[in-house]
Amino acid sequence: MDTSFEEKSVWIQLVGLVVGLGGYLIVAGLMLSKGVGALPTFVPVFAVAIILVVAINIAGHVVAAIVSRTDEADERDRLIGCRADGRSSWILGVGVIGAIMALILSVDGVWVAHLLLLSLFGSEVAKDVLQIVYYRRGI
Amino acid sequence: MARSGASIRNQIRTLRSRHGEMTQQQLADHVGVARQTVNAIEGGKYSPSLEVAFRIAHVFGEPLEEVFQFITAAG
Repeated sequence: MDTSFEEKSVWIQLVGLVVGLGGYLIVAGLMLSKGVGALPTFVPVFAVAIILVVAINIAGHVVAAIVSRTDEADERDRLIGCRADGRSSWILGVGVIGAIMALILSVDGVWVAHLLLLSLFGSEVAKDVLQIVYYRRGI
Repeated sequence: MARSGASIRNQIRTLRSRHGEMTQQQLADHVGVARQTVNAIEGGKYSPSLEVAFRIAHVFGEPLEEVFQFITAAG
């Protein structure tokens, strides 16, 4: 597959997000379903997830830099990034509105926090997937 | 990138051949974009900005319309 450094970077970010944050959301979902409601209980799991995301990103970018040219982002990369961002950011917006509604309805803070995290995750994954589609299919 | 039945075609592959089989990487280095961007432009998957289009034409020493052609549905 003929990929630029920027496209490789998007793939790495996607893997990092899905493995790290996706994994966290699965674990957090299981904890919530078992009735765990104290927000501090989730902090160690979240910390591990963030470390995993950062580690995958660092390792992935180091490997990508070794195996290919590290060209700077050019106009095509920037256009793809902007277009993907514009078409995925609504997911985060819906999550924020949902979180505000949940606060108005006095939903537990732990659910509100995870709703926000889920919408951030969805928005970022959608952005990365759209970027890959634009790189592969053209823009 | 086809919109309203129109598309932009280019002669980059032909011009690279005419210029001593210039590689996509060499052209990309001259223009200041990634090789994959030149590949996308050449394959019609990306329409470059006016600046990059002029830079490509400048590398080949050709007027812009010799490198890029705007093709409408009517031909």
